Amino acid sequence: MEKREPFFWLTISSSVVILAFIVLPLLDMVTTPSVSMLRETLKDRDVMRSIWLSIYASGAAALISFVFGTPLAYLLARTHFRGKRLIESVIDLPIVIPHPVVGIAILSVAGKNHWIGQILGDLGIRIMGSATGIITVLTFVGLPFYINTVKNGFEAISPRLENVSRSLGASLSSTFFRITFPLAWRSIIIGLIMCTARAISEFGAVVIVAYHPMIAPVLIYERFEAYGLKYSQPVAVWLVLVCLFLFLVLRVLTLRKAKES
Amino acid sequence: MLRRHMVGPLVAFFIIVTAVLPFSAGAEPKGKLIMFHAGSLSVPFEAMEKALEAKYPNLDLLREPSGSQKAARKIAELNKPCDIMASADYNVIDKLLIPDFADWNVRFATNQLVLCYTDKSRYSNDINADNWYQVLQRKGVSWGHSDPNLDPCGYRSLMALQLAEKYYKQPGLYDKLIANRLKENIRPKSVELISLLQTGNMDYAWEYLSVAVQHGLKYIALPDQINLGDYQHDDLYAQAVVKVTGKEPGTFMDMKGKSCTYGVTLIKNAPNREAAIAFLSYMLDPKGGLKVLKEMGQPPFIPCRVPTEEMKARLPGELKGLVEVRN
Repeated sequence: MEKREPFFWLTISSSVVILAFIVLPLLDMVTTPSVSMLRETLKDRDVMRSIWLSIYASGAAALISFVFGTPLAYLLARTHFRGKRLIESVIDLPIVIPHPVVGIAILSVAGKNHWIGQILGDLGIRIMGSATGIITVLTFVGLPFYINTVKNGFEAISPRLENVSRSLGASLSSTFFRITFPLAWRSIIIGLIMCTARAISEFGAVVIVAYHPMIAPVLIYERFEAYGLKYSQPVAVWLVLVCLFLFLVLRVLTLRKAKES
Repeated sequence: MLRRHMVGPLVAFFIIVTAVLPFSAGAEPKGKLIMFHAGSLSVPFEAMEKALEAKYPNLDLLREPSGSQKAARKIAELNKPCDIMASADYNVIDKLLIPDFADWNVRFATNQLVLCYTDKSRYSNDINADNWYQVLQRKGVSWGHSDPNLDPCGYRSLMALQLAEKYYKQPGLYDKLIANRLKENIRPKSVELISLLQTGNMDYAWEYLSVAVQHGLKYIALPDQINLGDYQHDDLYAQAVVKVTGKEPGTFMDMKGKSCTYGVTLIKNAPNREAAIAFLSYMLDPKGGLKVLKEMGQPPFIPCRVPTEEMKARLPGELKGLVEVRN
């Protein structure tokens, strides 16, 4: 047997520590509730509704990020201009701002003391305590993850391919949709996963904008406050399991796509 | 050069001070004073703490705010050391601490429910103490309260609405009011409603008077028969009953209305009895703590009250003059 360098064992041992750090608390949480308790929770309408709302709202946030974020990511990947660093920092802001501050900021713009809130009110759109509000918050916190991931994806594609397409007479839009977009597809999927994942985990900003209707993290908090750990854990387990399943499926799908291409 | 001149006198000064301190300190309260109190008393007690620690520099007041029941349980069940316990519900002291852990219970202040709003709230120019329940039924008026399952202010708000139905002799008023309150306007804690008022996301919110005063909000003061502020109406308040969630999901229990009357007591085996009495003599003084409470929107009893002569006899001598017997 070939002798391993100490460095190898260093990498192995730190990897084990990291994995244990992530897995042990979660494993403990997942295994604490009894099976009957988990089954009972599954029958609870409120629980199912909240998990569904979490997934639906996070998915909607990812979709909005996809529609509005993709052009911006492309712009940032392909152009260089004065103030680009500033714009990139602005996009990163939602990552650094404390979550409750995000909620307060959105509420203060959405209230009728603000002109934006007045316009929304006239249109009949309510942010506070509505799914619309939840999606707004989740888009806010998820956008940077989508844009940054997709920007890196676009940057990895050589501009030469686009130039060839342009020189052969393709328009800018047809070049984007026929050359760049298909090549960046994988990073777009990963961007969507990152954005959804970030959105599903958000609590602090959402609870300020909307307590009802309850997304899963808010319901877990409510159960914890009203009934204690015993009744909040099963909800958490289901949320973790559902998320794990969804993200596993998405990863497998994207990996397969990557191999094909 | 100047510095060198000052060092000598300074050193001498400190030597004298440290030499004299142990002798003088015996005369004034010192050390740690532990106090468990209701969360809603945090603001006035913080002000009192500053005043008292300025008066007695060697005294360190350690405050632990929590729910009143929890505070009593920490003393009675967990046997945590504590000198003074102040409860948002004076009944908690009677039920959980007397006679084993305390001898007496002084009612020192009240609180009450008010309807808060801002000058940007819809119909803020029309609303008054006579028509508030009609305004809350108007279409487009957004009002809310905290979650009755998580926050006592939440179920008390609902009790006030039930009492209003009786007081104004309007059968069905409670249901009509609730029908015009979106479920989305319920928040975990009543303080969170304030930011919704201030940002114009909500027009009216139910709060304690103290919260309204401490945040500078406009508010409608309601009749005593509704506001849960006067313990002499406790029999009336008890007719208001709100269902809240029980110990596990799907179970419920009934909460009966009672007044928001604050009580304070000295714990029998207080580790620092001397300092505790010093604090209480300041706190129950109309020119001291009671004045602070008044400014913070927690109307004090001047003088403070005990229910019987017998209980007054059990008070420490220093406090007897600050208390009257009145039920």
